[in-house]
Amino acid sequence: MRRTTVRSALLIIAVVAALAAVALAAGCGSSSSASSSPAPAASGTDKTPVTLTVWHPWTNPEKKVFETAIEGFTKKYPWIKLNVVGFPDSSTFDQQLIKAINAGNGPDVAISFAPDYVGQYAADGLLVDLKPYLAQDNIPADEFAAAARTYTSFKGKQVVLPVLADSYGLYYNKDLMAKAGITAPPKTMSELMADAKKLTVRNPDGSIKIAGFVPLEAWEELDPTDLARAWDGQYFDAQGQPQLSRDPAWADALTWQKQLVDWYGYDNILKFFSTYTASEFDANNAFQNGKVAMVFDGEWRTAFVKRYTPKLNYGTAPFPAADTMPQVYGVGRVSGTVAGIPRTAPHPDDSWLLVKYMATDTDFLVNLANGLGNVPTTAAAATSPDLTIMSPQFKTFIDVWNNPQSSYSPPLTSSGAGYATLLLQFDDKWVAGKVPDLHLGLQQVDQQISNQLNLVAP
Amino acid sequence: MSGTPGTTDGAGPEAAAGAGPAPAAKPAAGLLGRRSPEDRRRARRRAALRKYGAVLLLLSPWIIGFVVFTLTPMLISLYWSFTHYDMASTPRWVGLDNYRFMFGIGKIHGIKAADPYFWTAVKNTLWIIVFGVPLRVLFAMGTAMLLTRPKRGTNAYRTLFFMPSMAPKVAAALVFVYLLNPTTGPVNQLLNMIPGIHAPLWFYDPATSKPALLVLGLWGVGDAIVIYLAGLLSVPRELYEAIAIEGANTWQRFRNVTLPLITPVIFFTIVMGVIDGFQYFDQAYVAGNAVSGGQTSVLGSPQNSLLFYGLYLYEWAFRNFAMGYASAMAWVLFGATMTATAVLLLTSRRWVHYGGGT
Repeated sequence: MRRTTVRSALLIIAVVAALAAVALAAGCGSSSSASSSPAPAASGTDKTPVTLTVWHPWTNPEKKVFETAIEGFTKKYPWIKLNVVGFPDSSTFDQQLIKAINAGNGPDVAISFAPDYVGQYAADGLLVDLKPYLAQDNIPADEFAAAARTYTSFKGKQVVLPVLADSYGLYYNKDLMAKAGITAPPKTMSELMADAKKLTVRNPDGSIKIAGFVPLEAWEELDPTDLARAWDGQYFDAQGQPQLSRDPAWADALTWQKQLVDWYGYDNILKFFSTYTASEFDANNAFQNGKVAMVFDGEWRTAFVKRYTPKLNYGTAPFPAADTMPQVYGVGRVSGTVAGIPRTAPHPDDSWLLVKYMATDTDFLVNLANGLGNVPTTAAAATSPDLTIMSPQFKTFIDVWNNPQSSYSPPLTSSGAGYATLLLQFDDKWVAGKVPDLHLGLQQVDQQISNQLNLVAP
Repeated sequence: MSGTPGTTDGAGPEAAAGAGPAPAAKPAAGLLGRRSPEDRRRARRRAALRKYGAVLLLLSPWIIGFVVFTLTPMLISLYWSFTHYDMASTPRWVGLDNYRFMFGIGKIHGIKAADPYFWTAVKNTLWIIVFGVPLRVLFAMGTAMLLTRPKRGTNAYRTLFFMPSMAPKVAAALVFVYLLNPTTGPVNQLLNMIPGIHAPLWFYDPATSKPALLVLGLWGVGDAIVIYLAGLLSVPRELYEAIAIEGANTWQRFRNVTLPLITPVIFFTIVMGVIDGFQYFDQAYVAGNAVSGGQTSVLGSPQNSLLFYGLYLYEWAFRNFAMGYASAMAWVLFGATMTATAVLLLTSRRWVHYGGGT
């Protein structure tokens, strides 16, 4: 009899445990509703010792640079200890962060590389709106370049602040330019096309030995959006509907792209691309080695050149603008690292001190920028005499960052940036000559984008 | 898939249960002597509970694992497949909308809407199954037959042929992307030495990207070779001797003895190949990623020629955050896999011979 009791007791425990586990698993799926954010207390008044957990996706050697730079914070705020947690894979970082916040065990401060998620963080209330904190500490709106707003705020909510940025422009090889008789970098898209042709050197069999400019979207950092920006192309209209078929900039940009691809010959440019596909971030990079004369790239390339081919004679300039739109010259794509406070953070006022420090402290930003080679995000840091990475080539990217028209692309949505793939898929077919009607094709892409955004819309 | 652990575990509890309740029940009957039918029924129920209780208890590690890690996620994903769910906010019920969008019979906000690449993914997946599975069977069977021949060094050959299948899929795919690079890869450098040959662009050309994956697949066919080898070696010698006396030639020997007796192996490799084909992922992910510039890559490149069902599902789930739609795709995939397997099982009665003699 006793044996039976024990047995059934065990059975009941097992069943209860299983049910509990099921309930737990199911609970993880649904999310709690957004909590109201409390009004911030005046920062720095409460000095109760506290430990803040910071999640970041830097890996070595950059991880070390960050860890060293952030030591300044604990000197300034001795009652706050930091528990700095590096994540090994930046591509899954944000998904893990979202899961953790929904499960109630997110960090006190999160640093992310992917502005793509900022729309979601804001729309779903995963990160705290920082506007009250900014107002309380009298941080002016122009503390950060206007371009920062395109990827740190969404629908009126400022859920993150920028911590160093990337900006993009045109790199050109001065020696190859001189050899081709070109004296200044191209400023218009016609000049870019003409220079690209002049700079191209072919092998006897017609294949490409040195390419002037590779206009494929898969080539390193180039994106159709960057080409369309030259015509001031906008992804969405004022109502938030995709307008690739209605804004003529897109057809102009894609036509320009196809003309240059056809001039090379699709197979030729594809073969050239295949030679350097895997070399964007290593010693064999085509631009560093003089195999491509002009390239659309980010500010970090200056650091790569310094490391791998310090003797390369090169210059940088904003990406060219359409012939009819000289006012666009100087505008470029920006992106960057961002920091925010999860809504589950138990000490948001202390978290704010850290976010504010990382976003505004000049010494911190300069140290980090010197170590990582990225664009400093405040005017004070960008003009600091301690900024050792400053050079004429690097200056271009600070200017692009400070251009009020520069913007993050693809634009933020509450459902990420997955929609941008639809244009890339279309562009791959377009340059391969498999799209008979460009306008009709772009109409379809518009429809696909709008369907996809609706499908994910919460 | 989940049936096996259950049946193996099941052997234990039954033996234990048989011994357990018997002594407890007998003295009870003796003491009471006379029992009403109600009592008897209750006693029987108690005995049954005790018996099955023990079975359940001993099965519980598996049951809990199955319920927590398989059944529950499956049911949750079934629920999600009827919702819009972006993983951050609460799922919103949309009925059959996801399924309608998938098959292109749906409307979103009153506008006809269809998934632009669903059928591309289906076609690519069927392609890799229709060409990949028979090739795999033929290649593995042919190689295994050759491997039964040598008198010496058989183990060395078998090891050699088996080794590639031990390579991680991702590493193997990366190696093939390198080997088959149109300009820098050794394969095309060799091909280019032959005058008059236009070496293909392999993974960079939608016309040759899937065949390149087939080549990769055949390179790693060692696991199937080993199974065929075992099948071939288990064909009884005396059958060959008998048919030799009848005066059969090589083809007749193969057709009438070897082939019927290894049909179970063929059947097994086909079923596994079809199931694997439905879930084709790693190699295509790696290859597509490599040829579309790595970082901001377009899955399924070039030009969606490697956009397989699993890859597309992944894109919807983890790049577009349409977890509801991705769940619907997963259930359609589950249905297709089950149907294909069922059809194969049903037709197998006609052509698979499970050696009657043994």
